[in-house]
Amino acid sequence: MRDAARDPAALEPLELLRVQRGRLADRMRPPWWYLPGAAIVWGLFFAGPFTSRSFSSPMAVSTWAILVPAVAVCFLLQWGLVRATGLKVGPGPLRVLQDGLFSYRPGRPAGIAIALVSFTGLGAEAALIRHGLPGAAIAVAALAVAAEVAAQRALLRAIRQDLRGGGGAA
Amino acid sequence: MTGGGTAKPDALIHPITRLSICGLLAAGADWVEFAALRDAAGISDSVLSKQSRVLEDAGYVEVRKGAVGRRPRTWLRLTPEGRRAVEGHLAWLAQLEQAVSAGIRDAREAGPIPSDRDQPLPSDRDQPRRVLPPPLLGGT
Repeated sequence: MRDAARDPAALEPLELLRVQRGRLADRMRPPWWYLPGAAIVWGLFFAGPFTSRSFSSPMAVSTWAILVPAVAVCFLLQWGLVRATGLKVGPGPLRVLQDGLFSYRPGRPAGIAIALVSFTGLGAEAALIRHGLPGAAIAVAALAVAAEVAAQRALLRAIRQDLRGGGGAA
Repeated sequence: MTGGGTAKPDALIHPITRLSICGLLAAGADWVEFAALRDAAGISDSVLSKQSRVLEDAGYVEVRKGAVGRRPRTWLRLTPEGRRAVEGHLAWLAQLEQAVSAGIRDAREAGPIPSDRDQPLPSDRDQPRRVLPPPLLGGT
């Protein structure tokens, strides 16, 4: 250790590892279809208050007509992202159930933001629909979708930073 | 930069290729696909295949094989034992890096090494200047 400490060549493995982690992190860039797909999922999610359960209008659709495509597109997007990047990042559904929704440290701020926008967006939409302002509810839904997509981008950025930094391993 | 484990070198991980594989698997992703690992590490298919088998036999890496359509896909991840070993080894390397950096800093603080263009040392001043012989104009 004493002799190695005088040898600058001892730095090379860590420097190399930093470069390689940078390459791995660069793979975690979403394909062109990922964020538009995420916008569709969030659009379906925020269309929830317009279903026949809470929105008494002939134009209202059933809850299942929104829920099933939303879940299907969500799974398709995650599968496609894993296939395109070659990386499975974050806990699986079982680990989320076991350790909690925000157990994945790098994604925690973005995850909290996503949850907050979801609850406040849905609440505001429901309140506006009750007060007979469906136009304003649609505007709120559009804003919420934009905010969710921005949070999703922030989540991917945080994952890239975590990969570049070594995920706390070193 | 120190990781969670105790700083401890691991002979199995120390070779640069295995260190790259393990370091990349410990970077934060749960599973990493064979091609992604190969490209990030900058090694060939055969090298990755051989070294990952060594790590798998040692119980450091878990390998899962699957297929997407007709194309086979291999996924790799660290086992808990492998993660402990990698974190310990990386912490040891980080300590080494700090020691090297401290050594370089100490050397810089000690002052610059005088070059030929600097003032001659007092002992050199008394020495007669060496004059190079003129180049030979003609051969004999």
